[in-house]
Amino acid sequence: MVNPIYILVIALFTAFLLPVFDKMGRKYSLGLFFISLAAIFDITLQLAWQSYNGVLKANIFTAGSIPPFSINLRIGGIETFLITTINFGALLAAIYLIPKFNEQKVYAMMLFLTLIAGVNGLILTRDIFNVFVWLEITSISLYALIGIRQNHKSLEAGFKYIIASGLASAFLLLGIIFVYRLTGNLNIDMIAASNTLLVTKGGLTALFLIVIAFLIELKPFPANGWALDVYQAAEPGVSAMVASIVAAGFLYVFYKLIPLLPIYWFDILILMGMLTFVFSNITALKQKNAQRLLGYSSIAQMGLLVAVLLIIKRFPLHNDLPYNLIYIAGALFLNHFLAKAGLFWLAGIIKKDKISDWSLKGNPTLVIIFAFFVFALVGLPPFPGFWAKWVLINRLAQYNLIGWIIPIVIGSLLEATYLLRWFGSAVKQEAAEPVKLPLHKIIPASIAALALIMIYPAFANSLVNTRIIFQIPLLALAMMAILNFLPFRLQGILMIAALTFFGWYIFPLAEGIVKIFEFIFIGGGIVISIVSLNTNIKRQGYYEFLLMLILSLAFIPLAKTTLEFFLVWEYMTISSWLLVLRGKNGEKPALIYILFSLAAALMILTGFALSFAETGSTSLQYLRFLRHYALPVYILLAAGFLVKAAAVGLHIWLPGAYAEAEDEISPVFSGMMSKIALWGFIMLMGIMGTRALGIFEISNLLGWIGVITAFAGALMAVFQEDIKYLLAYSSMSQLGYMILSVAMLSHLGWTTALYMSVTHLFFKGMLFIAVAGLVSRVGTTKMYEMGGLIKKMPVTFISVLIAIIAVSGVPPLSGFGGKWLLYTALLEKGWFLQAGLSFFAGAIAFLYLFRLIHTIFLGQLKAKYREVKEASLWYLIPQVIFIGAIMAVSTFPNLILKPIMAAVDTQFTSSINWEGYKVITTLGYWNGNAVMIITMGVFMVPLIWLLSRVRMVQKVEQFNIVYAAERPERPETTHFAYNFFSHYQKAMGFLVNGQVSNFWNSVSEWFHSISSMVRHIYTGNSQTYALHIIIYIVIVYTLLGVN
Amino acid sequence: MEHGLFISIIYAFISLSVATIWGLLLGGIALKVVARAHGRFGPPVWQPIIDIIKNNARRTSISHGIMYFLGPVFRIAGGMGTFLFIPFIFGSSVFGNFSFAGDLFLVMYFIFFGQLGMALGAGESGHPYSAIGVARGLSQMTAFELPFALSVISLVIQYGTLNITSIVAAQQGGLLSWTLFTNPLATIAALISLQGMNMHNPFSIVIAPQEIPIGPPTEYHSNFLGLLQTNRGLFNIAKLALFMNLYFGGATNIAVMILKTFLLYMLTIFIGASFPRFRTEQSIRFFLGVPTVIGILAVIVIAYL
Repeated sequence: MVNPIYILVIALFTAFLLPVFDKMGRKYSLGLFFISLAAIFDITLQLAWQSYNGVLKANIFTAGSIPPFSINLRIGGIETFLITTINFGALLAAIYLIPKFNEQKVYAMMLFLTLIAGVNGLILTRDIFNVFVWLEITSISLYALIGIRQNHKSLEAGFKYIIASGLASAFLLLGIIFVYRLTGNLNIDMIAASNTLLVTKGGLTALFLIVIAFLIELKPFPANGWALDVYQAAEPGVSAMVASIVAAGFLYVFYKLIPLLPIYWFDILILMGMLTFVFSNITALKQKNAQRLLGYSSIAQMGLLVAVLLIIKRFPLHNDLPYNLIYIAGALFLNHFLAKAGLFWLAGIIKKDKISDWSLKGNPTLVIIFAFFVFALVGLPPFPGFWAKWVLINRLAQYNLIGWIIPIVIGSLLEATYLLRWFGSAVKQEAAEPVKLPLHKIIPASIAALALIMIYPAFANSLVNTRIIFQIPLLALAMMAILNFLPFRLQGILMIAALTFFGWYIFPLAEGIVKIFEFIFIGGGIVISIVSLNTNIKRQGYYEFLLMLILSLAFIPLAKTTLEFFLVWEYMTISSWLLVLRGKNGEKPALIYILFSLAAALMILTGFALSFAETGSTSLQYLRFLRHYALPVYILLAAGFLVKAAAVGLHIWLPGAYAEAEDEISPVFSGMMSKIALWGFIMLMGIMGTRALGIFEISNLLGWIGVITAFAGALMAVFQEDIKYLLAYSSMSQLGYMILSVAMLSHLGWTTALYMSVTHLFFKGMLFIAVAGLVSRVGTTKMYEMGGLIKKMPVTFISVLIAIIAVSGVPPLSGFGGKWLLYTALLEKGWFLQAGLSFFAGAIAFLYLFRLIHTIFLGQLKAKYREVKEASLWYLIPQVIFIGAIMAVSTFPNLILKPIMAAVDTQFTSSINWEGYKVITTLGYWNGNAVMIITMGVFMVPLIWLLSRVRMVQKVEQFNIVYAAERPERPETTHFAYNFFSHYQKAMGFLVNGQVSNFWNSVSEWFHSISSMVRHIYTGNSQTYALHIIIYIVIVYTLLGVN
Repeated sequence: MEHGLFISIIYAFISLSVATIWGLLLGGIALKVVARAHGRFGPPVWQPIIDIIKNNARRTSISHGIMYFLGPVFRIAGGMGTFLFIPFIFGSSVFGNFSFAGDLFLVMYFIFFGQLGMALGAGESGHPYSAIGVARGLSQMTAFELPFALSVISLVIQYGTLNITSIVAAQQGGLLSWTLFTNPLATIAALISLQGMNMHNPFSIVIAPQEIPIGPPTEYHSNFLGLLQTNRGLFNIAKLALFMNLYFGGATNIAVMILKTFLLYMLTIFIGASFPRFRTEQSIRFFLGVPTVIGILAVIVIAYL
């Protein structure tokens, strides 16, 4: 085997050799520099290979004798993993820094090598004094490297680092001296083996001094002002190393020290880590500087890692310690290592200090790289951070450490907030000048990004619970990205073909209720996607995310385990978020949307974790066996689904996301994606039924939430001037009815919910498509700017007409079936007041529906729209398909009612009888077919009469109306449209005056205020920072109860 | 269907004709009553019948478009449909109508069919008064539907069915078995709603003659207006028949039907003649206040007490 000591030898030796070579020319010294780095990396690779084959010798004794008489190195699995990672990182970092090496004196390279030697040494050595030596080597190299930028800020930052690090070193050295005095030993393992040390006060103090030194080096909140200045002021390439390579060394030393610590210290130290995680993320909220922001994020991640390492050591579960280490700490570390280094490099490429100046639009390479890093840090799949988060939360629940889940969840959300906000603003902003992409910078960043996604299979494969087909959404994304060179329309056709094929493949596999949902997702997906064919102008990412979204939706009902469910759920979240972000004004709505979605996802994750903790299984079906955690799991999952369903109070993401997404995407959101929340409830209640919450049944509570959502959504829709916002609120309202129906937990209730979800796809899909066609012609979404378009766009008018009749529930169209089923089910269930309120909500729907059709198509035509044409055929085809579907199910309700009832029969016993087309319940009956025929009959009679009486009709001019014998001046003044229901606003508007938005705005405001407040401690004064460190040490000393 | 299709259509025709003529006469009586309250002599009671004959005899060659043309058709189809889904006279096969097609909820939702179609037709005329009238009408409608819906829910709990015929059947057997006496709260809530449904004062802002000529139908004339006026008679009877069936024991023969609908109608007329008009938001607030509370009480009393 290769002796790892050569790593240290090569690094140090080359460092001393470099000046000699530099005399021959920079080319030679640079060459030697890279050869040595490559050689080091080669050694680590060999070690890794040996480790993989299990032939690696663990202990290396130097100086030919065993400890304690000499220093020994250890190279086990973890060490191999770490040095491979850091030396790989070092190689990339060196590539990034090539121009710096060229312009600086040779010392830069030397420092780089000594730094690498130092970190490797920190990781390998088992001797505590040797740790101190490597720490000093690392720190001294780093002070100088920080100054490489040679402006006063970076020099100042380097100086602050010297002070902080000097303090830490002083404590460390003192600690080591005491330890040696007490144990007569410097070998960490031997110290750990001797218990004598831990029992005395002196021993504890000594240990404390050692531990606190490394804690300080890991930059704990709030004693980390110096580190932030370093991150901000240093050359990005150096900051990247501080955040990744150097941090790795310190972190591992801390890990080595953990066995020495008394058990009662752990909780306090975990708390310190968690505080760092949460508060660094909070402080980052207000941060405008890119590098400093990344600094906060790095510090937060280190805090989390410290906490996680302690937790793993504190609560070893059976024999799966390595499993936890690899899957949680390893994945978290790797995720952070690559993503953070990559982000610093990216900062070096963009060269914009302020994050608001970042503009990546039109630069797909940078956008993709940026996306990879940010998504990885946020913990989205398929990046390692996702798996780490999954296993971590599951394990925490299993250890019964539920309290620690809360700071992790809050911190993660805060981190997602500023990272995704940054991402959103960067990709939406048009670059003022083209960004230069120097090769030496883009290569390391791209490799880091690639590594992030390549490592993923290593984790996914070992998680045996995920069937490989659940990666299809991701593969579809990749496939569409590869096909991006094709003409845009062809891509669309291929996408529809792929969906059709997929439907043909998946449909026979689905059973019962799942089949209904597959019909909505795949069938709806195919029809709605036709709209996208209207243009051949390329749109980056459009089909990629659309296909990924539809497939994710289709996979969610197929999930059998919690992990499968959560994985595709996250795929859905990402793809839909990116689709919102693609919208013209999508930046802000996309951010709100993703934050709510992530919060929902975290709640679902926690629910699943609790279920795993109790049942020990990830099978979704095992939810039914829950006893102890049944209530919290139920509440967490239901809350997650309520967010997705945009239940009242949690709905503020919905209007923006639906309305600001591209016009072709909105029907997918409303017609299809909204139903996934319904599936969530069906799954949850199908498995767990209902639970009692104090004196309430949860299902009862959900029913009320549903009906209030229906009411509030309808009321808000009434007051919208923007057609897409109107439809978005209308969707919210309709979803409310569906939640209400599912919550009934009865045959009739579920039949209602499914019937509504299918018909809602038809009419809301159609409405959004009609609107898309309309907007493509008139170029505005403000309804009052339109008017009188019936003659210009007759087909669109007809589909809107049919849709609004269907939505409103007026017979004979299919919407009445939904209303009838709903009221019958509610009365059968005994939910009388809910029935009253839903009737009211249904009546309010008339207001916005009439307004929708009137202000757009009726009334007075504006002069500028005299020449408007009907929407293009691509918009009309799906509308006609949906009209056909509505007419079919209206005339023959059995077409969908029978399969739905058959599906629901598997859950509940039916209370419904059939007589031909007549549906009979215990309360009433409805014959859709007869209603249709009678309606047609009573419609035809007066129509024929009128046609026979009114002949030779001449169409009159626009202003030929009874107008006090005057001619109206302009259509704008005659078209009654703006603030159409002002009297309703006066009477009812106070109910929806933005109370919910205000609440969430103030939540955001609180966090930002805390952020500003906390930031005040970072004065930039190095004396203050030193004081922070001292105070921190005193506080931790007291908390740990050392004396 | 119990009878053949042809017979059913004949019966439906008879039923419709009787209802329309009686409805128009009631309208005439109303005009008379209001006139007397104003101190005028008023038109003869058969004036509405003369009006529709006159209007239908007139020809027009003006149309604002297809939807405008279809508006009155929707309106009267809504009236006819609503009426036909209600069993007019209990136990009569001639006046049983097409109530086999659906229950109470069908009737309640079919009422919207004509209103929606009419609103659309009026909208296409481009007359702002139409749109204003519709906006007012719809707003007010949402408000008075709430107490009515609560009242109906209370009834369904009481009788355990949505079938109108069964509800009527349950009220047979004397005055005291009428819903009016067995469930007075529901009846009161519904009667207040009826005032709004009939758009009589204080809820007449929708057609507000002095402000927006006659609201939604402003642009309709001759044949179109004829259809609308015909519907006004028919639709009136449909609503009255519904209320009679639900709250006043239904009718077992024509004479009882005429008496009950007459009294019911006169109630709204008298109230209408003695009140001034609410603004839209006032009437919304009114309906969502006391009548809704009464409706909720009706539900609670029947369901839980």
